[in-house]
Amino acid sequence: MPYDAMNEHDDEELLLAFAGGNAAAARALTGRLGPRVFAHAMRMLGDRAEAEDVAQDALLKLWRIAPGWRVGEAKVTTWLYRVTANLCIDRIRKRRGGPNIDDVPELADESPSAVDQMQQKSRAEALQNALNALPDRQRQAVILRHIEGLTNPEIGQIMDIGPRAVESLTARGKRALEALLTGRKAELGYEDDE
Amino acid sequence: MSDERKTDLTGDLGLDAFFSAARDDTPMPSGDFMARIEADALAALPAKSQQAPVSIPLWRQVLVAIGGVPGAAGLAAACVAGIWIGVAPPQSLSEIWSQSAGLEAYEVDPLSGFDLAMLEG
Repeated sequence: MPYDAMNEHDDEELLLAFAGGNAAAARALTGRLGPRVFAHAMRMLGDRAEAEDVAQDALLKLWRIAPGWRVGEAKVTTWLYRVTANLCIDRIRKRRGGPNIDDVPELADESPSAVDQMQQKSRAEALQNALNALPDRQRQAVILRHIEGLTNPEIGQIMDIGPRAVESLTARGKRALEALLTGRKAELGYEDDE
Repeated sequence: MSDERKTDLTGDLGLDAFFSAARDDTPMPSGDFMARIEADALAALPAKSQQAPVSIPLWRQVLVAIGGVPGAAGLAAACVAGIWIGVAPPQSLSEIWSQSAGLEAYEVDPLSGFDLAMLEG
């Protein structure tokens, strides 16, 4: 069954079909959830190899619990975000000390459109480096809220805290990011956008 | 940089440019990784049925309609409470019921339908 034919089914329906042995559902879920889990792990960890390991591990856990999935209790993505973030935080706590804000690459002297692209890329990299410097929970909350675009109640479910605690974490995270990024905005072409 | 300029740069708008750049620069997984996780999924596929169709089972539709597991739990609790009150009504409820006899003075007979049914056998 082609992937398009599965678009009408939500993640939970596909997971139930997976639990029933449907290979097409397995492929559709992989294609749908794999990139999302990987992107979240990548943003949390800032390291491709580690992000791939974590994403693979999180999905393996999902396949294992699929037969016992309790319908209507939680969204599949909420469960996955929670598992992924916990695996990431375990790794962060083990390694401590990653890339530094000063690792942002210098802008190359290119044509204007290429420079624009480089600026966008550099901003994303600068943000990633600044995120890496945040405490785990602040980083998780900021990524989920401002990059993944989840709502505060959804983030609360993932992080097992109330919406007000989510607000507090994101506010503190943003203040820390501002402090980390302020000194770099000019060289990243920020002033050109004003 | 003036203080005013610095305040402007550290405002929400400034961070939004970074968040926007990060959203546009979503990390993409490699083809190898996608192949690996698909192989994992197929290897973990339960083998109890060959090709379970992707359809919403009736029990799940009912469960979702009544609000999922919490809804079902509430419904079950209400049923148990109803049976319990029917089998062994609390004393206070009986007292209230006996007082309702006074309603006849207002030409209201709350048991008329029930009495009629009993008379018809």
